[in-house]
Amino acid sequence: MLTIWTVVRFLHVLGAALWVGGQLTVSLVVLPLARRGLDAERRGSVLTAIGRRFGLLTVAFFLPVQIGTGIALAWRRGVTWESLLVPGYGRILAAKLALFAVVMLAAALHGAASSRGYPVLARVMAVTSLVTSVGVVALATALPVT
Amino acid sequence: MTSTDVRLEPPPRQPLPGGPPRRSSWHARANAVVLVWLALALAAAALGDPLALPRWLPVHLLLLGAVTNAAVTWSEHFAVALLRLPPPRPRWSGLRLAVLNTGVTAVLAGAVGGVPAVAVGGAVLVVGVAVGHTAVLAVRSRSALHGRFSYLARWYICSGAALAVGAALGAVLVSGSLPQVWQERLLAAHVHANLLGWVGLAVLGTLFTLWPTVLRTRIVEGTSAWARRSLPLAAVGLVGAVGALTAGIRWAAVVGLALYAAAAVLALVPLLRTARQRRPHSGASWTVAAGTGWFAIILAADVAVVATHPAHAVADALGTLLPPVLVGFVGQVLLGSLMFLLPVVLGGGPATVKRGTALVERWWLPRLIAVNAAVPLTVLPVPPWAETSAWALLLAGLTVSVALLAAAFLRSRGLTWHTPSPAVVGTALGAALSAVAIGVAGSGLGPATETEPVAATGGTRTVEVSLGNMTIDPGVVSVDIGEELVLRVRNDDVQAHDLYLDNGARTPMLDPGQSAVLEVGVVTGPMEGWCTVMGHRAAGMDMRVETGEGSDAGTDSAADGSVSGAESAHLDLSGEMSPDWRPYDAVLEPAPGGTEHEVEIRVEETELEVAPGVRQSMWTFNGSVPGPVLRGRVGDVFTVTFVNDGTMGHGIDFHAGSLAPDEPMRTIRPGERLTYRFRAEMAGAWLYHCSTAPMLQHLGNGMYGAVVVDPPDLEPVDREYLLVQGELYLGEPGGAEQVARMDAGEPDAWVFNGTAAGYDHAPLEAAAGERVRIWAVAAGPTSGTSLHVVGARFDTVYKEGAYRLRPGDDGGAQALDLAPAQGGFVETVFPEPGTYPFVDHDFRHGENGAHGLFEVTE
Repeated sequence: MLTIWTVVRFLHVLGAALWVGGQLTVSLVVLPLARRGLDAERRGSVLTAIGRRFGLLTVAFFLPVQIGTGIALAWRRGVTWESLLVPGYGRILAAKLALFAVVMLAAALHGAASSRGYPVLARVMAVTSLVTSVGVVALATALPVT
Repeated sequence: MTSTDVRLEPPPRQPLPGGPPRRSSWHARANAVVLVWLALALAAAALGDPLALPRWLPVHLLLLGAVTNAAVTWSEHFAVALLRLPPPRPRWSGLRLAVLNTGVTAVLAGAVGGVPAVAVGGAVLVVGVAVGHTAVLAVRSRSALHGRFSYLARWYICSGAALAVGAALGAVLVSGSLPQVWQERLLAAHVHANLLGWVGLAVLGTLFTLWPTVLRTRIVEGTSAWARRSLPLAAVGLVGAVGALTAGIRWAAVVGLALYAAAAVLALVPLLRTARQRRPHSGASWTVAAGTGWFAIILAADVAVVATHPAHAVADALGTLLPPVLVGFVGQVLLGSLMFLLPVVLGGGPATVKRGTALVERWWLPRLIAVNAAVPLTVLPVPPWAETSAWALLLAGLTVSVALLAAAFLRSRGLTWHTPSPAVVGTALGAALSAVAIGVAGSGLGPATETEPVAATGGTRTVEVSLGNMTIDPGVVSVDIGEELVLRVRNDDVQAHDLYLDNGARTPMLDPGQSAVLEVGVVTGPMEGWCTVMGHRAAGMDMRVETGEGSDAGTDSAADGSVSGAESAHLDLSGEMSPDWRPYDAVLEPAPGGTEHEVEIRVEETELEVAPGVRQSMWTFNGSVPGPVLRGRVGDVFTVTFVNDGTMGHGIDFHAGSLAPDEPMRTIRPGERLTYRFRAEMAGAWLYHCSTAPMLQHLGNGMYGAVVVDPPDLEPVDREYLLVQGELYLGEPGGAEQVARMDAGEPDAWVFNGTAAGYDHAPLEAAAGERVRIWAVAAGPTSGTSLHVVGARFDTVYKEGAYRLRPGDDGGAQALDLAPAQGGFVETVFPEPGTYPFVDHDFRHGENGAHGLFEVTE
């Protein structure tokens, strides 16, 4: 049945799809092409611009939407702090939230490292954030069946 | 005697023409096996909870896998090197290693998989290797028995003998063939023989020479004398302790352990003097020293535990000492020794050995501090987060140690380590983080909810489960497919148990008296459950969850409507009642007005549904079991017209009346009638039944009912129910087979108001906060009842004409006990909404039909 909650859940899933999908697209499509087709200088400026834009979108759109809709969905389902420790739905949700926090931390470290000139750390953090957000999606898919 | 300089070089290489240095390569391989077991132990310790692995698995992966391999390999190595024996044939070493590891694998697989035969077979192999290895050492070292290091062979021989004893005890334990108290004592003996004997003696014996070598100093004067003096003391003490623990003689065990501890102190003297000569300076030396220090602490703690616990409680009490034993002592001695020895045996010239040593000793100080700071935190009463952090620190420190040793091994094989690309590091990091999160998410979650969707029926079945005496009670739980199963598990034993179901749901380890609610989830098919403590499953601690379709007899027999006695013993009480089944109305109506009551009771032979799907021909009063309820007040007169519409003679007997039985209780033939008139002069819940001999058969086939005479001061309550408990004998009424089971007192089921588990399918209703009065009469014919409502307490008990308890009294009651033909009532107020089972707490009866539910609403 289509209700307002359908819209909220839609926004939540859409946000996740855009963010994870965006990262995957950048890593699997844009970066290899940029490495092959652009000289070092332009590659640097393009990739920095992509990173800035993505970071801006993350802070301005993705994070508020995910956190807002996430809190709304949790409220609707009657999630409490105590219920987060209960095996099943609660514990999966708690693990997902913790992993999401790690993703955000890695993404922030990636931003900080690339702007301060630590390319290796930046790269490690970018890949960590990407792989971990796939883990978040995996946990999210486990949620409804419980 | 002068100080002696000892250097442990790679063992003499065999001059094999054209071949590689065989022995060195052999030792490297043998140590690689040790590293593999160590890594498995660490993985099992880290993943044990999410994967629901038994807790003893990491213990045995370390001790039986890694330590036993290391001890066999190294004791041979040192004996050969120090006693100047000819090296053993590689074929013998290889065979021994193969058999040992096959045995270890079989022990672990058999014990985890619950196949005791495989585990016992594996243990026999381990014992065989222990005996063979020790015998070969003994025979070969005879020529060297007068040499400088001859004590070494003796220590190893005693150590090997202890392994033979310890492993044999383990085999008996895992076979699960002993009574519990013996099981516990043997476990204590098993632990001591292996830890203090096999590991402890091998470690001490080795340290006499290894310790000075690790410190790169000379063996101090008098070492061999200390070694010779302390061994007999240690051996005698150990034999005494193990024997006394087996026999359950506490003081003798304490004396034995004290002797052993004294021997250990003697053995430590030369080690301390060596350390004074040259202080520990390397990672290897500090790690070995820390391990030895923990050994001393453990010995003291062990003496205290054995002195304060009876033998059968020792093993359980020692459970808290596991981290210091496994990590502090055994792990550190093993890893410290390997840090020194592995680069040496990997060989390749002084420069390579130095490089290898540098690799395995990398970050040794932080690792040493981490492990030794974390070990006490896992034992002391600290907040849970501190304990969890300590375990994480411990596992991290050990993992780094094992990884460095493995790296050194791989490097010697020509495999070098390249700095991985950022992408690989990031992927590994992300995957590890996700794996940890998924592990956390899955903990405590039964996969039953993840398998194919089964339409949940919405019903919940709650079963009380008791652990103890090497059994799980009940052994079989019947559930409908789609029903949610909740087990209220209580450990009624003197030792710790848990309950694990093969869908992944598990309770924590329960100490004696502890309880846990295990939410098994929606049942989709049959399941097995067991206690994961080593050997307990084999000893009989397993259970089965059966689903409606899985179990057989009851439903099948319903198909043709007839049941033949003995084959029908397994009624499927969780099956569905037929759609046309109507429960006997347990609601007890208030006494009608007036003081004269007339009732007609007709004998009828009726086919009734007496258990889910099971129909049985019954002898009844007015077509129901029990017969109609008569209710009145003290002084009321009951006039009963009794009509025999059956095919044989019957009579009737009202316990509530007082009269000469000759006429009113006489047997009348079919078609006859009689009038039975009695005055109820005494209050109570009374039985009436057929008065014709053999009454066993007439009651056993359903000819009983209840008369309720209110006590004068009976307060009105919100709800009143009446439960008449009886027995169910399937088969042809009065047939030889049925009568034989009546004579033996072996009913097929027990029933409340005529149907086994009937009120599971038609629960009685109440609301939270309402006062509910439950009248009960035990009709027998042979068994009484101990009526209990799970989750409720009775504040009123009226039994056999008197109050035992009234509201306002200090006490409370948990069960209404009634012998056959007794009656009474209890009152309770359900505290909150929920499903409250009521049972005959004699669980032979309760689990075989004398069971029902109260559905309590808001």
